[in-house]
Amino acid sequence: MSQSLPSLKQTAEQEASRFPHLLARANHLAGSVLMGEHGRRRAGQGDDFWQYRPMQVGDSRRMIDWRRSARSDTQFVREKEWQIAQSVQLWIDPAASMRFASSDALPEKTDRARLIGLALSIMLLRSGERVGLLGGQLPPRRGEVQITRLAMSLSEDQDADYSAPDTRGLIPHATAIFVSDFLADTAPVLSALTGAADQGVRGILFQVLDPAEESFPFRGRTLFESVAGSLSHETLKASELRENYLERLARRKTELEAMCAVVGWRYHCHHTSESAQSALLWLYQAIDGARR
Amino acid sequence: MMGAIAFTAPWLLLALLALPVLWILLRAVPPAPIRRRFPAVTLLLGLKDDDSISDRTPWWLLLLRTLAVAAIIVGLAGPVLNPEERGPAGQGPLLVVMDGGWASADDWDTRMQMVDDLLTEASRTGRAAAVILLSRPEAPVFVSASELRNALAGLHPAPWLPTPERMGRFASLLPRDGPVETVWLSDGLAHDGREALLDVFEDLGRTTILEANRAILAVAAPRYTDGAIEFTLSRSATGISQPVTVQFIGTDPNGIEATLAEQELAFESDQSIMTESLSLPAEMRGRVSRLGLKGVESAGAVALSDDSLGRREVALISTRENREGLELLSPLHFLRNALQPNADLLEGALGEVLPANPDVVVLADIAELAPDDEAALTAWVEDGGLLLRFAGPHIAASDISRQDEHPLMPVRLRAGGRTVGGAMSWGKPKTLAPFDSSSPFAGLDIPSDVTVNAQVLAQPDPSLSDRVLARLSDGTPLVTSKAMGAGRVTFFHVTANAEWSTLPLSGLFVDMLDRLSVTTSSTPGEAQDLSGTFWEPVVVLDGYGRLEDGSTLPGVDGEALLAEPLGPEIRAGLYQRGDRAVARNVLGGEDALTTMAWPDRARVEDMTRSPEIPLAGWFLALSLVLLGLDILASLALSGRLYLARGAGAAGVVAAALLIQPTQAMADDERAIEAASRVVFAHVLTGNRSLDEMARAGLVGLSQTLFLRTSVEPGAPVGVDLEQDELAFYPFLYWPITPEQAQPSDSAYDKLNQYLRSGGMILFDTRDGDISGYGTASPNGRKLQQLARPLDIPPIEPVPADHVLTRAFYLLQEFPGRYRDRDIWVEASPPDAEQVEGMPFRNLNDGVTPVVIGGNDWAAAWAMDDRGNPIYPVGRGFAGDRQREMAYRFGVNLIMYVLTGNYKSDQVHVPALLDRLGQ
Repeated sequence: MSQSLPSLKQTAEQEASRFPHLLARANHLAGSVLMGEHGRRRAGQGDDFWQYRPMQVGDSRRMIDWRRSARSDTQFVREKEWQIAQSVQLWIDPAASMRFASSDALPEKTDRARLIGLALSIMLLRSGERVGLLGGQLPPRRGEVQITRLAMSLSEDQDADYSAPDTRGLIPHATAIFVSDFLADTAPVLSALTGAADQGVRGILFQVLDPAEESFPFRGRTLFESVAGSLSHETLKASELRENYLERLARRKTELEAMCAVVGWRYHCHHTSESAQSALLWLYQAIDGARR
Repeated sequence: MMGAIAFTAPWLLLALLALPVLWILLRAVPPAPIRRRFPAVTLLLGLKDDDSISDRTPWWLLLLRTLAVAAIIVGLAGPVLNPEERGPAGQGPLLVVMDGGWASADDWDTRMQMVDDLLTEASRTGRAAAVILLSRPEAPVFVSASELRNALAGLHPAPWLPTPERMGRFASLLPRDGPVETVWLSDGLAHDGREALLDVFEDLGRTTILEANRAILAVAAPRYTDGAIEFTLSRSATGISQPVTVQFIGTDPNGIEATLAEQELAFESDQSIMTESLSLPAEMRGRVSRLGLKGVESAGAVALSDDSLGRREVALISTRENREGLELLSPLHFLRNALQPNADLLEGALGEVLPANPDVVVLADIAELAPDDEAALTAWVEDGGLLLRFAGPHIAASDISRQDEHPLMPVRLRAGGRTVGGAMSWGKPKTLAPFDSSSPFAGLDIPSDVTVNAQVLAQPDPSLSDRVLARLSDGTPLVTSKAMGAGRVTFFHVTANAEWSTLPLSGLFVDMLDRLSVTTSSTPGEAQDLSGTFWEPVVVLDGYGRLEDGSTLPGVDGEALLAEPLGPEIRAGLYQRGDRAVARNVLGGEDALTTMAWPDRARVEDMTRSPEIPLAGWFLALSLVLLGLDILASLALSGRLYLARGAGAAGVVAAALLIQPTQAMADDERAIEAASRVVFAHVLTGNRSLDEMARAGLVGLSQTLFLRTSVEPGAPVGVDLEQDELAFYPFLYWPITPEQAQPSDSAYDKLNQYLRSGGMILFDTRDGDISGYGTASPNGRKLQQLARPLDIPPIEPVPADHVLTRAFYLLQEFPGRYRDRDIWVEASPPDAEQVEGMPFRNLNDGVTPVVIGGNDWAAAWAMDDRGNPIYPVGRGFAGDRQREMAYRFGVNLIMYVLTGNYKSDQVHVPALLDRLGQ
């Protein structure tokens, strides 16, 4: 579909106006977490001291740390921290189902997902990791410029109601993070997970839900529609559906958790009514765990 | 008043029975579904409802809809409020009888409307009709009702009431044949002969009596009692309390008719007669020409006042001032007692009382007057005064009017006078001859015990007989009189005391004085007083109580004027004879208004019934409103009504409504704050930075006062001259800027009031660096322009001994940010002199209302919140010193404002001298 030039320009400007906002908030959020427990891990690559060990056979003489060896009789080799930068690849659900907020006070799910994703990227990039997006658009790279590229790519929406994790461009042995509401069919998720696990990728399933999706506070005759309108369901008495719905939701969560357990991934459910910071903290720690 | 409700199509109400069915039907139909976005719909797919019954429509929505339908049904059934009863039509022609007296005048329009309605209905049925006023009875002529309607506009109430005689005359004029339906519009008052007339009507055919359910108000003639105007109000019905406003109407000093006074009264619920009085200044009382009831249009609600309210001023002149103790022999004693109740007396020398322009001057036994006095008195008489002279030994002994007639005597006198019936004479004391009919005394009874022992005799001149008003039994004149210019000279040939006659001892003396218009009687209503007199109407009242010119009407006999009932011959009005006036009012002092009690058999209906109001439109509109509400409610239920937005709008409206009270509340709080502390104010000029500077300056000054003196001011405020009350602020700082707006006239009123009531304004042109006082700097010109409408006394530069120089600190200059300028205050009084040895003049009075200068004091005083100066003053240490002096000037000024010239009090001089080191 070709858009007329002014409308394209307008859309682009709208999108662009959202992106610095997202970037700024993500920066802020990332800064607030970095200040905490993790300290500033900004040392140059390979500069970190790890340990001295006695020289062994096979070590090159160039590896001897002469300053340390001069203080004793044996030669020591100075080992540095193993600092191969890791690749972290994000998939943030761009589907219409994410563009939902049950009230004006809450952010849309996609908003929250992108915020957390970008903030996490900033933190990872600043600690020297390579961060990219799944789907082949943005391969993992290092550096501050990548933040900008990420923010731009994350601002793209998709019209379809639901979408499945896109594992194109997945790098073997990298870390993957799937952020979605996982309300669509779970089969594509499972296949993506198993495919990733086959390539030695570990990662995180991060589910973002609106409080209304968790509590189902509806009554009366109601016609439920998906955000893009592809699906609908009518009930005469919404309050009667609540228990069934909650049960199904719980089952979906268990299912996701079980899938993660099988492939060694981690699963977390986040609600848009909660603070983004705690979710970010959890993610960062979880990635730490996934990396080591 | 809620009347009965009837329906034009009552059978439609049966449809109301269908409402329960509607209720059940509406209940069965589920409400429209709410559409909701919900991403987790994937989880819902495939879920089934437990049972197929949907949520029911809420009961209140059902009620709303049912009510709407009920309103439609009721509306279509044609409800009518106050339905007119359409009874069976009467037989024969329609005779509309109206009382037509003044008692009907107040609601005459309603009555005519009523008659018009009756005639309209009669013309619809083709009946002939006649309309008769009982106050002007005539034989009924039945004509076509529609023709009669055109003549209705010519009917007006008469200023009298139907009397038994008139009603009887009318009864005799009625046709005796055939049925006649009668409608009698009664005024509700009881009159004799009514029941007889009712019998006649009922014999003729169906008779209906229409009455207005209202009290008829009337006011009786006012009279003068105990220094106040006393008047009586009557009303016909009792039972409810009723407010009445009495207006006293007369000419104002410019001769224009106006309401001179108003008195608000109220009938108690069981009161039908109320007698009240109103005290007015004599001068105003004399001008009251009538009393009226405000808002009541009838002749009964107007009471004309005649001479009885006016009090004439009578000057008593006597020469014998030295005979103290001989009260009863004083020539003025009897006059004084006769006149006292009804006239205002002036006593003194002629030269003193004539300038007061009395109505009457009485000279008791004064023969010769000083030439000046005589000329003045002559001029006064010719101007319309009444000179009343009494004889006495002095007159008898003098040569006055002996050879030639003296201008101030009506007749020539013979020398010496005569004595009759004394110890040394043969004759008996003479009695009075009956008064001629042309005499003003005509009709007065002559008591037999009035005798005359001595008199002065008139020369028998040709003109004598014309001038005699009263004679003795032997024909010698007792009272003579002549006209002189516009006035009159009257001479009693006896003394004013009882020396020469017993006349002053009798009641006749008072009556004679009364007839001579020396006094005005408080009770004019004695028929025999007026007997034999003939009175001309001046103004008469019509039925509505309006004044009409009476000069075209024939005159009436005095006796009939007061005794006869009112009618076409004797109208209520003001009648005149000579210079006396008598008012005939509709309601006499003793008359009461009583409500007619009709016999039980009579059909009496209320005339003021509520008009028929069809209600169908209202019910249909109600149903529309209900259906509209139903739309809103249905939208709300299906989630399509954005209540939050609506609530927001409602909030805006509510906020808008609240702004006004909040404003008022803020004003009150501000006033309380300003009144509970000493608060300085500055005038808001509209220049924001200047206003801010003025505020900061006053903050600095307040701070300084707080630290250094016992004055502890509150936070200064800016005042808007147009809106704010100034009275709370003892001191107003007014910085001048060329662009500020000229205050309005009301603001200047307020400012002048402020200055007069002790406020002080400090005008600051803030241009001390560039101009001297009075030179044409823009600020100076603006100041002149602003101050022109202000009530500012003459001003002068502050003298060296002005209180400002020593109110708290001893100062010789008053710097602000600039230091080169004089400041100007109210000029000291020209008589202030310096006492030898005292350093100061005695300037104890008057605090200057304005201080005018241009040193930009506020800038020098200005402090920020931490007490740091905001604007630079001077340079270095000298600048600090100058700022300090500015503060000291401020302190002195406020001390001067708050304590006035306290420091100027000489008591403090020794202490001040001590401090000055002198």
